[in-house]
Amino acid sequence: MDEPVPAQPKQKPRIGVFVCHCGINIAGVVKIPEVLERIGKLGEVAACKDYKYCCSDPGQQMIRDSIKNDRLDRVIVACCSPSLHETTFRNACAEAGLNPYLCEIANIREQCAWVTEDKDKATTKATEIIRTTMVKATEDLPLEAVTVPITKRALVIGAGIAGIQAALDIANAGFEVVLVEKEPSIGGHMAQLSETFPTLDCSQCILTPRTVETGHHAKIRLLTYSEVESVSGYVGNFKVKIRRKPRYVDFDACTGCGLCMEKCPARTESVFERGMAKRKAIYRLLPQAVPNRPVIDAAACMYLTKGKCGVCAKICPTQAIRYDDKETFVEEEVGAIVLATGYELFDTAKLGSYGAGTVPDVIDGLAFERLLSASGPTSGEVKRPSDGKTPKKIVFVQCAGSRDSTTGMPYCSKICCMYTAKQAILYRHRVHDGEAVICYIDVRTPGKGFEEFYKRATDDGIKYLRGKVSKIFRQGDKVVVWAADTLAGRKVEVEADMVVLATAVIPNPDGVALARKLKTQLDTHGFMTEAHPKLRPVETLTAGFFLAGTGQGPKDIPETVAQASAAAAKVLVMFGATKLTHSPTTAEVDDEICVGCGNCERTCAYAAVKVDPVKGIAVVNAALCEGCGACAASCPSGAMTHKNFTKKSLYDMVDAL
Amino acid sequence: MKYTYYPGCTLYTKARNLDLCARKAAEKVGFELVEMPSWNCCGAIHNSGSDDLAAQVGPLRNLAKASQLGDKLVTLCAACHNVLKRVQDRLDAQGNEVERERLITFVDEPFERPVKVLHYLEVLKNDIGFDRIKERVTKSLAGLKVASYYGCLMVRPKEVLEFDDPENPQVMDDLMRALGAEPTRFDFKTECCGGYLVVNKRDVAKSCSQKILDNAKGWGAEAIVTTCPLCQYNLDSLRSIGAPGAIPVFYFTQLLGLAVGLTQDELGFDYNRLDPVPFLKAKGLL
Repeated sequence: MDEPVPAQPKQKPRIGVFVCHCGINIAGVVKIPEVLERIGKLGEVAACKDYKYCCSDPGQQMIRDSIKNDRLDRVIVACCSPSLHETTFRNACAEAGLNPYLCEIANIREQCAWVTEDKDKATTKATEIIRTTMVKATEDLPLEAVTVPITKRALVIGAGIAGIQAALDIANAGFEVVLVEKEPSIGGHMAQLSETFPTLDCSQCILTPRTVETGHHAKIRLLTYSEVESVSGYVGNFKVKIRRKPRYVDFDACTGCGLCMEKCPARTESVFERGMAKRKAIYRLLPQAVPNRPVIDAAACMYLTKGKCGVCAKICPTQAIRYDDKETFVEEEVGAIVLATGYELFDTAKLGSYGAGTVPDVIDGLAFERLLSASGPTSGEVKRPSDGKTPKKIVFVQCAGSRDSTTGMPYCSKICCMYTAKQAILYRHRVHDGEAVICYIDVRTPGKGFEEFYKRATDDGIKYLRGKVSKIFRQGDKVVVWAADTLAGRKVEVEADMVVLATAVIPNPDGVALARKLKTQLDTHGFMTEAHPKLRPVETLTAGFFLAGTGQGPKDIPETVAQASAAAAKVLVMFGATKLTHSPTTAEVDDEICVGCGNCERTCAYAAVKVDPVKGIAVVNAALCEGCGACAASCPSGAMTHKNFTKKSLYDMVDAL
Repeated sequence: MKYTYYPGCTLYTKARNLDLCARKAAEKVGFELVEMPSWNCCGAIHNSGSDDLAAQVGPLRNLAKASQLGDKLVTLCAACHNVLKRVQDRLDAQGNEVERERLITFVDEPFERPVKVLHYLEVLKNDIGFDRIKERVTKSLAGLKVASYYGCLMVRPKEVLEFDDPENPQVMDDLMRALGAEPTRFDFKTECCGGYLVVNKRDVAKSCSQKILDNAKGWGAEAIVTTCPLCQYNLDSLRSIGAPGAIPVFYFTQLLGLAVGLTQDELGFDYNRLDPVPFLKAKGLL
């Protein structure tokens, strides 16, 4: 490699250095007068000032004034991390007529004052950080923000309550929405619930107005029984390929009369009823389904598997059955994508000590919701799956898999404390002499009305037993639960008629697979990662992708709806602009040097670099590039560089030390 | 295939049948157990006090002897297996160099290499394969419903034993299936049998074993199959101490031996406290 050449700017730069005290955060450790003295001596420094809070209005005014009065062409602000105030100071520079990309941050708080005890050492270190940043700033070029056009249509993936809410908010603001749902009808898990905590209003009753509105909305293109196959393009300009699964029913001809479902002779296990009931091969998920059209399950249909039967086609009054239906693909152009892929419950079969899914009267929380639901397999009467008897004693087990490092799910599933209390209350409504025992580790009620609801459960005579359940097994027609009562300090054995496990909330596996395909970030448990845990909770690090609902982490309905509306608001903020701007500090390829090895393409976490198959060299999509620099670091030939952060400026910064 | 084999004291005395069938059955399915010379007590119970060096000496001497013969050591008794494997793990642990050095110096026996301690079941599963064992079956155990009882020592601690799911282990169930038998569902696979309490608190041990028996029978098991001499003793003694409804208890090696064609003499039923011969005859297996 060539020896790095020292910077040779045409003219001597006129740099302004502004050192922030950050109250005592910096000034308490770094001796600011000494820094000013050392830096002020350097030839290229045209102004060197300090202020208690540079980010304040007077602080910014000081910088703006200095740019004009001292004719500055570079600005260094020595302060906190650029992730906090880089934008603030760059905007201040732009207001004073200086290209904002000629403003650099020297981080002397997080990387110096906060981590250095010795004041002399901290002062020297701060000076060095400022000096090296000056070298970089000297080599910075004025850049213009990248602008891209926006397609003002949104794609929402998943039509549970999160996706429905986001789609409605965007559509009601006047923009078109493509809403994709893999199931035959919308509503997600909320459609399976009986009543909702802490108000005990019926889930269906509050959900169906939303599903109906979604189904009829002129601005919403609803694609049910469909899955997103691929997404190409970039923020503002995505091309989405959607696979429409064969439904074998012509939705336009079908009136939803339901005769086919009545007469269909083939039965198979219903996933919607959590395996506690059979459904027909031609089916809809629930009576209030939107769209209210059945589909044929090809694996269960006798005509499609064996070529015999055909009852539904014969009986259909509108000849809507299409046995020759095929999978089709549609392409949609959208500007923003909301990921609302939702959750699943951890498989009880994986809980070896809790019967490993083999004890019929040990069921999970969603299954119990179906038993409580008026549209469920027992029409809302609590009957246990094994023999249909009314259980007189039910043990509810919280944290079944959650908060347990041995299952790989150390996190709290957040909704179980409340829904377990609700289920116990509802059980006692249905079975007046029924006894409910809840085994818990902690009861967590941080929500509006939650603590009062928990109190209601305990007042209602529901017995709370503090301790982890060690074992659940079947004995005769009883289910025996071994637990600890850690308050009394003893082992407990409870004989119950039925056990309900509040199994851990996990991200929907299909959502995880989709996120991997779209290269959006996931945490170790498969939940989608927000761009910032506090300040950017619904954005992702991939521009144009937004998050809503439990795919991002366990949450209840109000929180899901709030997040979905927030995601919709973020989409609308984007759609409110005429063009999108994007930071120009992106990667850049030198066409002469690039050999098209593809290292950069494999390294890029944002799918922003592709090797052009015709030219055989890498091409950067500036609209997608987040400027992380991974491609530049991985490029073996040095063809890939990062604008305003070249290898040369990096070497020069090191040399300057 | 030859493996260095550590039998341990119980397999020379009360659990002679566990040992005999294992050696003979191994030959039938394609491997050989070569007993290591001059072995000593395994240590019997793994000492969990991290500063107790003396308790490590006995097991370490066995491991050192085994290391001179190869890099693997096969065990059968669940207690020996647990102790030897855990001591080897402790020796291998990062940051334990000083202790390891002191121990090896004290034992005064060349320690050639780390020894992989394998249970006989691991050899059957991973090196031989249950499919191959299935091919060697001359007398299928079809119609025999067994509950596979693993006890505590085989599976715990999970991180060290790396044997199977500690809550719902499967390896013996899979073996029974390969032999033609039907493993029943069974909730008490790893519950305590009562252990050494049989010596001084016989009632406690009895109630532990009784629960295991009741659960196995509740799932329709006609016999229980074990890996551990102490579990075998506790479960197999139930009838002799007056427990109602006791069923035959076998070592897994006995059922393996039966299926691969060992003779009745070789199966060592004399050592079982509850004579299983009438039961096996009634099932048409003898």
